[in-house]
Amino acid sequence: MLGQQILSGLATGSLYALTAIAVVIVFRNTRTINLAQGDFAMIGAYLGIVFLKDWGLNYYATIFLVVICCTLLGAGVERLIMRPIANSDWLTLFTTTIGIYYILHGLAGWIWGRDTKAFPVTFDPTPIDIGGALISQGHLYNMLWALAIGGALYCFFNFTKQGVAMRAVTDDRDAAFLMGIPVRFIVLLTWGMAGFIAGFVGILIAPIIYVSPEMMDEVLVKGYVAAVFGGLYSIRGAVIGALLIGVAENLAGGYLGSHFKTATAFAMIVALLAVRPQGLIGIQKRREV
Amino acid sequence: MAQETHTPGLMDLDAASRKKRDIINTYKRRFRRHDAIAAAIFFALLFLTPALPGVKGWMVSEASLVVIYVIAAMGISILVGYIGLVSVGHGGFLAIGAYTSALLTKYYAVDLVVGIIAGMLVSAFIGAILALVFLRLSGAFMAIGTLGFAFFVGTVVNNVPIFEGRDGILLPDNVALGMEIGDFGFYYVSIVSLALVTIFVFCIVNSGTGRAFMALRDSENAAMASGVNRLFYRTLAFSISAGITGIAGALNAHIVNYVSAEVYADIWFSVDILMAVVVGGPAILFGPYLGGLFVVMLPFFLEELADFAFILKGVVLILVLRFAQAGVAEVLLRPIQNLRRRKLLEVARGAK
Amino acid sequence: MTDPATTDGNDHLRCENIQVNFGGVVACDELSLSVPKGRIVGLIGPNGAGKTTLFNVLTRFQSYDSGHVYYEGRAIDDCKPHHMVHMGMSRTFQNINLFGNQTTLNNIMTGAHSLMGDPFSAMCWLPGARRREREIEERALEIAEMLNLTEELESVVGTLPYGYQKRVELARALASKPSILLLDEPVAGCNEEETAELKDLVLQVNRQLGSSVLLVEHDMSMVMQVCDYIYVINFGANLAAGTPEEVRRNPEVIAAYLGDEEGEL
Repeated sequence: MLGQQILSGLATGSLYALTAIAVVIVFRNTRTINLAQGDFAMIGAYLGIVFLKDWGLNYYATIFLVVICCTLLGAGVERLIMRPIANSDWLTLFTTTIGIYYILHGLAGWIWGRDTKAFPVTFDPTPIDIGGALISQGHLYNMLWALAIGGALYCFFNFTKQGVAMRAVTDDRDAAFLMGIPVRFIVLLTWGMAGFIAGFVGILIAPIIYVSPEMMDEVLVKGYVAAVFGGLYSIRGAVIGALLIGVAENLAGGYLGSHFKTATAFAMIVALLAVRPQGLIGIQKRREV
Repeated sequence: MAQETHTPGLMDLDAASRKKRDIINTYKRRFRRHDAIAAAIFFALLFLTPALPGVKGWMVSEASLVVIYVIAAMGISILVGYIGLVSVGHGGFLAIGAYTSALLTKYYAVDLVVGIIAGMLVSAFIGAILALVFLRLSGAFMAIGTLGFAFFVGTVVNNVPIFEGRDGILLPDNVALGMEIGDFGFYYVSIVSLALVTIFVFCIVNSGTGRAFMALRDSENAAMASGVNRLFYRTLAFSISAGITGIAGALNAHIVNYVSAEVYADIWFSVDILMAVVVGGPAILFGPYLGGLFVVMLPFFLEELADFAFILKGVVLILVLRFAQAGVAEVLLRPIQNLRRRKLLEVARGAK
Repeated sequence: MTDPATTDGNDHLRCENIQVNFGGVVACDELSLSVPKGRIVGLIGPNGAGKTTLFNVLTRFQSYDSGHVYYEGRAIDDCKPHHMVHMGMSRTFQNINLFGNQTTLNNIMTGAHSLMGDPFSAMCWLPGARRREREIEERALEIAEMLNLTEELESVVGTLPYGYQKRVELARALASKPSILLLDEPVAGCNEEETAELKDLVLQVNRQLGSSVLLVEHDMSMVMQVCDYIYVINFGANLAAGTPEEVRRNPEVIAAYLGDEEGEL
């Protein structure tokens, strides 16, 4: 029972982790807390339904198309909305993403309606036995996908020119610019990547929680909380935080009752921030006087 | 050179400067008087409008709803506009105010006025406690923390039995100051609350306390060097802000005599209020008025096209942030303010 | 004049053996200095010597690893930056820190925050608080008069020229009726005229208001003309101390500054 709770906690946690990674990379490269991150995924989920049901594509082709669309969405948002105000203070950037959140919500409701929809692909309901713990196939797939994406991101940041450039922009934007790194393009890439990740999250989470314009609100909040674990800066911290939240809320849900799931994440964040305001693996910048 | 008159050692003002100062102060008083007259006329109109023929109960209720949003936005404007913090969780305080008043009314049959005051106090108290956790955080972290708080409140009202979850609490008819009131009476209660809140915010902003807030907003280093205790003033501002939003919450519970988790567990409230402030103009008293009007009336006029209203809201928000970051009210009032500033500058810089 | 560090008793501000490390870098190594009451003391040293770090230690903006700071003989190691004004210590910043989109008058009045009293009665406009508010305004006006800022009282400081902003900052620092004033490179970036003006102001503050002054400065002429006593630090350590005359002749000081742009000692 315990092992099972932990395992499915890790499965949900891995989706929070992906969201958190997207939040972190956008924040550290652009100072923007992206409230619309969840909505990229929501749009992805709806597109998934369209491709699967209306166009009759198979699952993998759908994933491929959805991810491309979401990447374009993220990049488009950067190019059209965020770039003109890129030099504003963080509050302006943040509230602008609220505007994007409204627009995407409204669009989804307008085009696809406000009712919840079931996602057509449902996994084989027979659970798989892993060392005595039963896990549903959906959860297992999600975990494997998350691992694969995480691995791909790791390779991207460490072994590709663009990935290294992106890290350089994170560390010191001005220096990176002077070194000839195309900062603008990297920022565009960052948002595109946020969309890319959101595409996966949307299509992976849709079979579990049904599709509606509000479907991602809670996931997003947990993704944020996880990102704060990493001080909004460290990807590793965000992933650890996300997995912790996934497991903790699943345990709380299992032993205290399902109502306590959301409260768990909040309690964890308050406890963490009370002890370490800079996050679990945060980097506190020296105050300039 | 050294004069030992008023403050030992400081230079005394010479006659010319003194005279110039008097003229400036006369102007300042005059501007303030004009503002007061404008506000008085505005509120007089608000008071008289329901007496017009053809005004129906639902119209007045809709107006009360606008007033509630304006009050809530006023509360958040103290944070966003004056001390430079942000909260994405003020819906939580709205809920606290609403449930405090609702529970008191249900179990102790208290007066509406008592309910409002209780809602304000409880909300302000919880705000002060939360502030001690959140305010150690820098801006971005705080936004996320407050968002989590709104979710937490939602979970609580959904699951703790006394709040009766999605079934909600049905309240008896409103009784204010011993009289049973209907839609019109409730409207007057809201208007009076709004007037009091506005006066209170005006007093804060135009006092040393408000200066301390704005000092923290503009330069934390200089503020600390001036002796402003950052934690104390942030807590104070957060608590005041929560208290004012609590008033709005209490009113919101009584406008329909019903509270339920369906309404208050939603983070839309939080986002809507924040948006009202940003669109209207956070650092100007009139800003929340416009913002509240916008946020309530847009869905009202586009009732059939709720999703389109969403899109429009988002577009307006983005446009305001792109082209008028200080808010719509600031843009509208800028000509008057520029005129006044020029007048003062003229006098100050005029020949000695 | 004897070394003030040895003459206890009338020290206004004193620090002993301050040690500050940034990672592996030693910014302050066992630094000590003392500002006697009513005196103007200078703190000089080549770039990167740790002047500003020590300055921030004294004003409690910077934490330190060991050592003590005493204010009027009392240890203030646990004080926060905002406590200092209430004790009578006021400071300025090297790079101007002002409330940029507020008026000059507001900036100066904010500087008098420590005279405001209880914030609750202030925000409720109680009669006593309003009276104090008028006193604060009166004081702000007098300071503006003294620093020749009357004409810009209603201007937004962010729009004022650099020299004005420097004076507004000084005015902000003076508004709290400080008994000791700490100035971090007050004439950095000022032209000769502005420098002369600020020099006179510092002297005026010292003579007229009787405030002690600690001056961290890069500009030699200013320090030599204004200060009663000068500390020289280099590489985070005390190098020399004495009257301007003594410091000028000190071979170690000359050596430390040799090659530096300020070599013309």
